[in-house]
Amino acid sequence: MTLKMKLAGAASGLAIVVAATAAQADVLFWSTQAKPVEESQAMRDQVLSGHSEAVDYQPNDAGPWITRLQAELEAGTGTIAVLGGLHGDFSAMNPDDLVDLDDLGVMAASGTFNDLAKLGTDAMQYIPWMQASYIMAANKEALQYLPDGADINALSYDQLIEWTANVHEAVGEPKFGFPAGPKGLKHRFFQGYLYPSYTNGVVRTFASDDAVVAWEKMKELWAHTNPASTNFAFLQEQLLNGDAWIAFDHTSRLAAAFNERPDDFVAFPAPAGPTGRGFMPVLAGVAIPKTAPDMEAAKALVQYMLDPATQIATLKATNFFPVVDVELPSDLPPSVQAAGNAVAIMSASPDANPGLLPAGLGDKGGDFSRVYSDTFERIVLAGQDIRTVLDDQKKTLAAIMEESGAPCWAPDAPSEGACPVE
Amino acid sequence: MSDVAAQTPRDTRSAGRFLYVAGVVFLVAWVLVPLYFLLINTLSSPDAVNSFPKSFIPEFDMGSLQFFAGFEGMLGALWNSAVVAAITMVISITISAPAGYALSRFHFPGKYLFRLLILLTRAFPLPLLALPLAVMFIRTGLDDTVFGLALVHTTLAIPFAVLITYSLFSGIPMELEEAAWTLGCTRVTAFTKVILPLILPGIAASAIFAFVISWNEVFAAAVLTIENRTLTAFLLQNLDTSPLHLKFAGGFILVVPALIFIFAVRKYLFAMWGIANR
Repeated sequence: MTLKMKLAGAASGLAIVVAATAAQADVLFWSTQAKPVEESQAMRDQVLSGHSEAVDYQPNDAGPWITRLQAELEAGTGTIAVLGGLHGDFSAMNPDDLVDLDDLGVMAASGTFNDLAKLGTDAMQYIPWMQASYIMAANKEALQYLPDGADINALSYDQLIEWTANVHEAVGEPKFGFPAGPKGLKHRFFQGYLYPSYTNGVVRTFASDDAVVAWEKMKELWAHTNPASTNFAFLQEQLLNGDAWIAFDHTSRLAAAFNERPDDFVAFPAPAGPTGRGFMPVLAGVAIPKTAPDMEAAKALVQYMLDPATQIATLKATNFFPVVDVELPSDLPPSVQAAGNAVAIMSASPDANPGLLPAGLGDKGGDFSRVYSDTFERIVLAGQDIRTVLDDQKKTLAAIMEESGAPCWAPDAPSEGACPVE
Repeated sequence: MSDVAAQTPRDTRSAGRFLYVAGVVFLVAWVLVPLYFLLINTLSSPDAVNSFPKSFIPEFDMGSLQFFAGFEGMLGALWNSAVVAAITMVISITISAPAGYALSRFHFPGKYLFRLLILLTRAFPLPLLALPLAVMFIRTGLDDTVFGLALVHTTLAIPFAVLITYSLFSGIPMELEEAAWTLGCTRVTAFTKVILPLILPGIAASAIFAFVISWNEVFAAAVLTIENRTLTAFLLQNLDTSPLHLKFAGGFILVVPALIFIFAVRKYLFAMWGIANR
């Protein structure tokens, strides 16, 4: 009897399922951004609820995100209306799969961003959507150990190392936190911060003598870095639980620390080296795949995302800053105020040396970043000779640049053809 | 002399008993302590979650759970997960039990090859299979249906289910069936009246396997469903980047339904171990 009941139950379950698969017509926003549950919730409740049409916001890991998109492109029909992703996500795609967006009448205030969004073609392949950067944050407990005469808003790498050493000595354990975990963004620190600050380049100067100095400094810094950093990816956690007192990370990966205990932490600019204060932006964009089911609805959603009011709502929801000119309101969350200040001081500092995102690498973007992560692991973690490792990794980097044909980007001097590794 | 002889076995026995009890306590703690910490941290405020050392008594702060109560789409995803897992269970047993029976009772050409091949569905990682599967699903209309996803999960569950049922059928003597035939049973009634009651607990065990495999699967679910997401596809991808207290609460929400299910079917499992001990 029980078996029969079970079978009956299963059959009725099947019937319900078949009945429940009727299609819905929400505009599907398929994104790799705003993934943390609180941010997804805020995107749905505060950002997208204001749109005239119902939007289904679905944040994903990069793997399922690109696999689903490829499947729809290959099948020739799709459900995804709008794609949200980082510049790197889009630059790895074939521009033919994305709809040209020049006729939408919306774009970023920054010409550089708009050029990046063309992905090497003549037309905008995605529209810049929001931006962020990487900054430093510290527990206020650590401020008393700042080296004499050091200004927290104008630190040099040497002062940062001295500071972390002072804290190490005073507390008895290393308290610098670095996102060197598998999901951490350490490669961005080398590409956008360490290399520009010491070599005024990223690719050309990869194996220069200045680069050797940079890696020596990195080793000094590592001596005062919490060794568990090889597991860290979101420094807000380590700031909150006290494993790190001084930290470097993505602004949105530090946000929870400022929002939960705004009075305990300070945000400040990245340090400067001999060739200036290197820093780089993070750029996210929205695009429309050519398989979008309802092109008009998709375009309307992209336009809505660039609306100044939407951009401010997005800032509050995700800690990513607007890409269009907006008047920022005063009631911003603590994390946004702290990060916004730090980024503003960093950009306005007299020795600022802003870099650009790697461009033109196509699907080699991941390999490019791996060169820097591998170099870090060999020099700093495995203790191998700096010169040997750089000469070795240089070959890999040169091969990637030649294969992709990517020209140099700032702060490297412009190049004819593929950016050379000198 | 006799003293020593009398004492040694008792010593050994009490030492053995101590080892046995210690082993049991250790294994129980192995399972329960992480679950207990999950519960404590779920019921703690963000401050308490981030602090150390941890308290052993939860402070019953419902903030994290309340967040998920208001999280759009949770209930739908939970329901989808349950339905997908149920369909996976039913189909994989319907296919695997006869396959296991055939493997244990009949000799046919290609039997060993079949036993090897059935494991091959687990030899390829899902991220590799998901793209062609998704293309095919979109073309056939199975895309974004709970039933389509259940088919994929069934494929993942079948190797385990076939091998479990195969070894269960092999553990039941052929003579039992033959005796039933001499007493007037046909092949079918011998199966339903004699073999099935013996095998049911084992079937329940492989059903649990199928359920858990389906419940835990993320990648295929994330690629093959959009509107009809399962709970893991809906939540798990987002948890790794979420603050710690929400990770714990989300983990708790993912674990509890599976625990309830296993608790509900536990008597079948214990019955199976009864068979194994016989």
